[in-house]
Amino acid sequence: MSSVIWYLYEFARKTWVEGFADAKSKPDIAEKPERFRDFPEVVKELCIGCGACTLSCPSPHAIKLVREEDSEESEGLVYPVINNRACIRCGFCAEVCPTEPKALRCGENHLIREEFNIIPSKRQYLVDDFLCIKCKKCMKSCPVDAIEEIDNKIHVNQSKCIVCGDCLEACPVKGAMKGVFIDNLEDQKAVIRLVVNTLEKFIESKEEELQELPLNKLLKLELPLSEIWDKAIAILPDEEIAFEIMENATDRLKINIITWDDSKCTQCRLCVDECPTGAISYNKENNTVKRDSDKCLRCSNCYQTCPFCVVRYFVAKFLLEEVDGEWKILITLKESQLVNS
Amino acid sequence: MLNTLKDIVRKSSIHVCLINCGGCNGCDVEVVALLSPRYDLEQYGIYVHNNPREADVILITGAVTEQWIKKIKRIYAKAPEPKVVACIGNCPLSGDVFNQEGGNVHAPVSDFIPVDAEISGCPPRPSEILEAILAVAPGAIAARGREKE
Amino acid sequence: MILPIGPIHPGLKEPLRLKLKTQGERVIDAEIDYGYVHRGIERIMEGKTWQKCIYLAERICGICSYEHTQTFAEVIEKISDVRAPVRAQLLRVITNELDRIQSHFLANSTYFKALEHETLFMYMLSLREHAMDAIEMLTGNRVNMGWNVIGGVRMDAKPAHLDQILQKLDMIEKDLDRYIEIFEQGPLTGLRSKDVGKMTRDQALKGRAVGPIGRASGLKHDLREEHHTYKDYLEFKPIWRKEGDNFARTMNRFNEIPQSVDLVRQAIRNLPEGDIRTQVDIGSGYAEWRNEAPRGEVTYMAETNGNLIKHISIRTPSIMNIESCAKYMLKDVATVSDAVATYASADPCIACAERVAIIDIEKGESSKDIFNLK
Repeated sequence: MSSVIWYLYEFARKTWVEGFADAKSKPDIAEKPERFRDFPEVVKELCIGCGACTLSCPSPHAIKLVREEDSEESEGLVYPVINNRACIRCGFCAEVCPTEPKALRCGENHLIREEFNIIPSKRQYLVDDFLCIKCKKCMKSCPVDAIEEIDNKIHVNQSKCIVCGDCLEACPVKGAMKGVFIDNLEDQKAVIRLVVNTLEKFIESKEEELQELPLNKLLKLELPLSEIWDKAIAILPDEEIAFEIMENATDRLKINIITWDDSKCTQCRLCVDECPTGAISYNKENNTVKRDSDKCLRCSNCYQTCPFCVVRYFVAKFLLEEVDGEWKILITLKESQLVNS
Repeated sequence: MLNTLKDIVRKSSIHVCLINCGGCNGCDVEVVALLSPRYDLEQYGIYVHNNPREADVILITGAVTEQWIKKIKRIYAKAPEPKVVACIGNCPLSGDVFNQEGGNVHAPVSDFIPVDAEISGCPPRPSEILEAILAVAPGAIAARGREKE
Repeated sequence: MILPIGPIHPGLKEPLRLKLKTQGERVIDAEIDYGYVHRGIERIMEGKTWQKCIYLAERICGICSYEHTQTFAEVIEKISDVRAPVRAQLLRVITNELDRIQSHFLANSTYFKALEHETLFMYMLSLREHAMDAIEMLTGNRVNMGWNVIGGVRMDAKPAHLDQILQKLDMIEKDLDRYIEIFEQGPLTGLRSKDVGKMTRDQALKGRAVGPIGRASGLKHDLREEHHTYKDYLEFKPIWRKEGDNFARTMNRFNEIPQSVDLVRQAIRNLPEGDIRTQVDIGSGYAEWRNEAPRGEVTYMAETNGNLIKHISIRTPSIMNIESCAKYMLKDVATVSDAVATYASADPCIACAERVAIIDIEKGESSKDIFNLK
């Protein structure tokens, strides 16, 4: 009983009651330190929509670029939206943001611009000096002034570049500004080789149609992309890169085709001596002239020599296009314009 | 009268079970830091026992790995009613950095069990966890208790 | 009888199944089941740039997250043949040692929780908060700091930060001696820790125990001795003991805390002015780097192709420590509660331990052959 009285007496003291009423958390519990990186803040108006933050974000679902609907007076704003449920608060998006002042803010020190914030990307933008016409449209389109002119040559400063791709769209010359994939170069070469070899085999399988083709007429063929696609993906697993490589390869590709009609041959053997690689041979026993297609360079010397139209020479051009929801390689074959009477 | 009494009791004594279903440990460490004298979780009547059979609140951290898919459902079934599930950190919410090509996780956890509260951050500070738990857990448990009757 | 503990159990904070073979109360043997937190981090890292990988490396383990980023940064720096500026190196040492302090406090607190010594458990956690405060103030986050980059660190430390770190260290040191004394001289804690879970030097060598666990069994091996920053700018001598029981492991960790405090002070004293980051062109090639994490030796083996990570293999200390705990320490322990305490004294970190091993069954190759490791 005495202890109960003691407790009542103890807890009824003024200091204890006051202390209980005024109890507060210590500041070091409630307050966050100066440097604490909270979720990034977005200033919508400053954003230039370059996408550097989405490229650099290590968490796959954290940042998305959105575009507001256009109103009557102005275009809708483009700005990043942070998903708090996936953001890891590393502050890397704020570090790479190229605007001045920054559109993304996260913690105190990330407002400093580091001179070597290279945005992680598979692509690198380069200027082909041979093709460049020095129109400087890319310099005007660049949102961060990363393209410079040095010694009358246009040059992309890699430490400033934010890999937005605006310069590629602005460039009027096809191929002067290049978005090159810098990794797995060997795999890219293998894909190109695969495309060329498949196309060549495909055309050679249609040799009969070619031989019946009248002069000055075109032969159009189609090859669905899906036949090559699986093999290409096995070599180069990145679909984006694989598709672009194949598109570029087919765009520029030109294949020369030689056809050989044995029935017209009179064994005059004019072509045998002309062939630079010895691909055409004469067999004495059977009295036949044979062409070895593996050795052949497609130089068209035989086509120009042959007086009997045994040899015909075609040029094939290609275009990768979507037809009825399916990607196809369109092939156009045309007899060469070299004069042959 | 009885219900108010039950509410008071439920609000003032909350038993917590912490389940790490495949995270980096960071959130668990922050929950352990909550036990320290500085934050003192027990002054709010919250006890971390790690025993699902007496838990009122199940705290989930981690991005649900292969092994946990069945086990997380079993643990949820074993906790007595009323119960509240709270996710700590980004892993159970979205899978965080692990939820991309090559990763072996099955986030989010809400695919498997119902989730009542979310605390985002990687990891959240102890004060953020404390704030969120205190804002959600007592009320939710009392409400859940009344629903079940 | 076989007594299973875990994966969810009041005694364990992390998911792992411990199977104890018991005879009455006596534990004869133990077996461990892993696989509850395997996320496939190495596989995610393949084909990504370092900017993304360094945040993944950080999330291998939440307790010693800093050492993982440092080792990752240093392995890429070795491939590219650059070294961070001296100021950045010493700032790395400061954060690393602060991280070690908080990790050792946490490990010891877990051990005291297993011993049911709530007072010391609370003392340890309240001291740990000082170290966490210092880390948060310097780097901006408490656990996953995001402070390291290839070629240096992201933010500079201002003089005010260094002053506050020194103050926090004073606060840690003020109470630490008393708490060590409570453990060292306490009759009951001694009774429950001394000669429990003993591992001799030979067994530690066989089980490949590393870090404080190996050092408590007489393996005088600390990788900080060989690290270039510690060699060039700091004075350092590894601490080790001979007993190899729970008491020695806990004391070894306790004794490393003042040493880490001293290392932070030395680093702050020697901190030169200068850059904190250099520009690095990522080279291509293969390299290997080892560092001493709070739990022992961390090894990163990485292969890059100029921009992306081609292969990476990570070896963390916990896997060896947990295995040697199950094989040697948990043999013939008097009671089950002692067995749990022994397990806690080995400082297990499951999130670290779940690594990838590639085994090609058809060819009979392990990850060792695939990565061409010697």
